[in-house]
Amino acid sequence: MPFSTIATPEAKPVANYKMATRMEGGRLLYISGQVAWDAAGNIVGKGDVRAQARQVFENLRGVLRAAGGDLANLMKITTYITRLEDFPAVAQARGEVFQGELPASTLIVVKSLFHPDFLLEIEGVASV
Amino acid sequence: MDRRDILAERPLESGRGFMPGVSVNPSRILFTAGLTGRGPDGNLVAGGMGPQARRTFERLQGILTRAEARFDNVVKQLVYVTDLDAYNASGRAERAKFFGTRPASTGLVVRRLADPNMLIEVELVVDLGGSAAGKPLLDKYNVENHGGDFYQGVIVNGGRLLYLAGQVANNPDGSVAGVGDWRRQAEKVYENIGHVLRAAGATPASVVKETTWVLSIDSWGPARTAVRRAFYKTDFPASTLVEIPGLARPEFLVEIEVIAAVA
Repeated sequence: MPFSTIATPEAKPVANYKMATRMEGGRLLYISGQVAWDAAGNIVGKGDVRAQARQVFENLRGVLRAAGGDLANLMKITTYITRLEDFPAVAQARGEVFQGELPASTLIVVKSLFHPDFLLEIEGVASV
Repeated sequence: MDRRDILAERPLESGRGFMPGVSVNPSRILFTAGLTGRGPDGNLVAGGMGPQARRTFERLQGILTRAEARFDNVVKQLVYVTDLDAYNASGRAERAKFFGTRPASTGLVVRRLADPNMLIEVELVVDLGGSAAGKPLLDKYNVENHGGDFYQGVIVNGGRLLYLAGQVANNPDGSVAGVGDWRRQAEKVYENIGHVLRAAGATPASVVKETTWVLSIDSWGPARTAVRRAFYKTDFPASTLVEIPGLARPEFLVEIEVIAAVA
C-alpha cells in the first residue's frame, strides 16, 4: 500500500486501530461520509445498527473499488454514531470486514446525522 | 490538477450536490479552518441559518482566493450544523450557490459550536494543483484579523500527509488520565499527539489541521489555551472546535485529531 504505519510505545491506541498513517505515494482519495442507503437511496436496516453498519462498509468498499482500491487502502476513517450504546455492534461489524487492524481511526458520538434514521456514518481517506 | 470523481455506480449522491468520493494526485493541498457566519466585527451575522450559511461560504471564498483556488477545486467538505431543519430549509440552498462541481462531503449535526448561537460551520480540503517546487512545505495564512490561536488556511506544498487517529487522554497501560479533569486531559492529549508526531518524523509545527471534539466547549475553553500555546508556540494549524454528546469512553472529555505534513 502506498502508505506507512506509525506506532510508538508512549501513545497507544485504545482499541484495534493504527495510531497514524503516512502517505507515501499514490492518489489521495477522500470518501464522503457513507450511510446505510442502497444504490436506489433506500435506507437499509432502519433501527438496526448492525445491518446499517454492514451496508455502510459495503458502500465504503464500493467507493474504494471504483477508485481502483479496496478497504486496505484506507489510511484514516472517522466513525460517527448517534448512540454510544451502538458502539459494540459497530465495532463488531468493523471487525468482520477489516482483516487485522483498522486504519487510523476516530469515533465520535454526534447529536444526529443528516437523516434521523441514520445511526452511523463513516468517512475515509485513502491512498490508492 | 488531476481530479477524478468516484461515482461508484451510485448516482444518488450526485443528485444531492456531492460525490461519493473524489481522488486527486496531490501536489499542493489547502486545508481550511472551520469557518462560520461571523461578520467583520467578529459577531455572528443576524438572521439565522440562511445569512450565517451565506456568510460562511463568502468567508471560505476569501480563503480560497488567497490560495488562487475556487469552490470547484474543493475535494472534501465537512458541514457541521446545530439545527438540521434550519439547514435543510435555508442553509443547503445558500451552499449550492457557491459550488459548481461536487466535492466529497460529510454532514453532521453537533450539539454546539464555538458560539451558542452558531448554526453552521464548514471546513474544506482543496486541491490546488500546480508545482510545489521551490515552495516551502507549509504556507499558513489568515485573510482576516481574527485574533484566535489558529490559521484560517494552511497550504501543503508537496511532502507527505500524515493522518493521526483521534487522540484521547489515555496512558500507555490503557487507563484514562485526568478523569473529570479538563486541564489534565488537555495536557495528556497533546502529549500523546506529540509522541505520535515524533514517531513519524514530525513536530507540532508540522500540523496542518486540527479538529477538537469536546463534551463541553465552556469547560474546554479555559483548559486549552495555555496547553495549546505551550504545544504549538505560535505555529498553529487550521482548526475546528465542536461540542458533541459523547466519545468512545464516558471518561474521555476531549478527542483531538490532527493531520500533519512531512517533507
